[in-house]
Amino acid sequence: MNAVIAASELGKQYRHTWALRDCTLAIPEGHVVGLVGPNGAGKTTLLRLATGMLAPTRGTITVLGERPAAGPAQLAQVGFVAQDTAVYARLTVADHLRLGAWLNPGWDDALARQRIGQLALDPKQRAGSLSGGQRAQLALTLAMAKRPELLILDEPVASLDPLARREFLQGLMETVAEQRLSVVLSSHLVADLERVCDYLVVLVASRVRVAGEVSDLLAAHRRLSGPRRDPGSLPAGQEVITESHTDKQTSLLVRTDGPVLDPAWAVRPVSLEDLVLAYMSRTGDEAPARRQHLGVVS
Amino acid sequence: MIRLSLLQFRIQAIIAAVTLTAFAVLLAATGPYLASTYAADGLDICHGSSCLSPATYFTASLARSPYDVVFLLSTGIILLAPAVIGLFWGAPLIARELETGTAALAWNQSVTRTRWLAVKLTVIGLTAMAVAEALSLMQTWWAAPISQAVADGSGAGVAQSRFSQLNFATHGITPIGYAAFAFALGVTAGALIRRTVPAMAVTLAIFAALQVAMPLWVRPNLAPPDRTVLPVTSLGGAGPSQTGPGGDTFSLYALTIPGQPGAWILSSGPVNAAGQPVSTTPVACRSVGNAGVSVGANESASLPGQGPPAFLACLGRHGIREAITYQPASRYWRFQLTETAIYLALALALAGYCFRRLGRLS
Repeated sequence: MNAVIAASELGKQYRHTWALRDCTLAIPEGHVVGLVGPNGAGKTTLLRLATGMLAPTRGTITVLGERPAAGPAQLAQVGFVAQDTAVYARLTVADHLRLGAWLNPGWDDALARQRIGQLALDPKQRAGSLSGGQRAQLALTLAMAKRPELLILDEPVASLDPLARREFLQGLMETVAEQRLSVVLSSHLVADLERVCDYLVVLVASRVRVAGEVSDLLAAHRRLSGPRRDPGSLPAGQEVITESHTDKQTSLLVRTDGPVLDPAWAVRPVSLEDLVLAYMSRTGDEAPARRQHLGVVS
Repeated sequence: MIRLSLLQFRIQAIIAAVTLTAFAVLLAATGPYLASTYAADGLDICHGSSCLSPATYFTASLARSPYDVVFLLSTGIILLAPAVIGLFWGAPLIARELETGTAALAWNQSVTRTRWLAVKLTVIGLTAMAVAEALSLMQTWWAAPISQAVADGSGAGVAQSRFSQLNFATHGITPIGYAAFAFALGVTAGALIRRTVPAMAVTLAIFAALQVAMPLWVRPNLAPPDRTVLPVTSLGGAGPSQTGPGGDTFSLYALTIPGQPGAWILSSGPVNAAGQPVSTTPVACRSVGNAGVSVGANESASLPGQGPPAFLACLGRHGIREAITYQPASRYWRFQLTETAIYLALALALAGYCFRRLGRLS
């Protein structure tokens, strides 16, 4: 398994605050990876470190086996669409395609023109007068037509309306299907990720809370509900991710290696959204401590 | 990458081309008439010292004429051009990319950001230097008759020496250095401040401060000045001025040095026989000349009787001479080269800093 992005104790400090700290992760190739986490978790910082837009304060990061932005060859392998999907307001759509062709030896002009045609963008139109969705599509076209091996998208759909969001993700999926391409895409909207991702990384407070293929993760998690009881009494191999209790009832989201056999539990599968929310709300190191003095938590 | 630089530079390039064209039209429309006036005043057929009188008449007659306006206007444009280049070509180069977020687009193509900056600095920097020097060369061509009249000894009207603040900074090769420096300064300010408008303000402030400091404190010391002590009566065009009650103090400035036409006089003042500066009028001379009346250089020649020449002769009889520090006219190109080299070196240092800084920008 080759990692498209491998980070080890990666940290980025701005003056006195750490935007990302002690982040270790390895993302395998050939996936559409959803990077999800609350605001301030360090998603944007991590992706900007991966593109070489930022230099790490501590630790190391390699992308496709090399330091990010190490040279023209490395840059050619990574496509990036930033959060604000900025394009040159005074240049036309055609100008953007030209600059892409000038600056990228692997430029796929046919792909670029085909996408612009499909999107019904006027090549003579200035990019500054495009709608937000069209701008994002133009930025994505530039990133795709350089024919990268890895496409990094930082919340590309955050500012788009639902229709533009669907079109953007659809266009992305079509290209992924045609090219052999790894994609890392950050979002705080699980619904977007559910549609396109087959691999999930949950980042909370710059730590990876869970990472894995979506199908494996869904298979390994269960929601249990039953009469009130102490989750400490669960068999080994069942890890409690979140718990909530009422006077009579206990509801748990657990990670388990095998089937849940205890007949006292009503066992239900989890959705991706449940899973993400569970890991995002789980407060890391505090979790075991809270388990001991059990009370009405929520 | 060169093509991208040109694509993004289109609008600025068009404005520069329009400015250059307008400048050329203005000077081409008025230049020939200036040259014909020069010929009509007899300057094209005079030789040696016989040129002084027509040259003086020529430059004096241009004062407050439309040519004076064209001269000052074109000089002003040449002086301002580097500042404008620094503000509108330099400051936005990196700052605008950071401000609009397009840096993420520019620096994620298959071109390292070092190369991106190298090409941009080269293409726009060379254009900046070429534009500044083109303006300067056009005005030098236009002002050639005036320059020749100055070389013939005229100091009247629009005549200014080559070392004068305005001429030194607008003729020769100094505009190249100023343009390169102002551009690099703008780029650096943009890279540090990351916002275009504040970067422009800082660029303007620093460049203006340097353009004032340079002629005042740096340029006079680019080479150790020559010193000479001359008889006060030999000073052409110098005027004594007596001040204080009863004219008991006086001052005396040299405006030109005999045998050193076009020299840049840095300081001058009367000294006694021992070489010490003096300002007290010898008692015997107090009744000579117009005691208590300030006499300027222009009046000195026309005052009859006990005028300044008699006063100067009296000072001379009492052992008072004029001490002058100056830079000879022959050092003009050495000074041009040195000052241009200083500005180019500063520009290169700033560019080098930008490359180091670039890795930490996003």
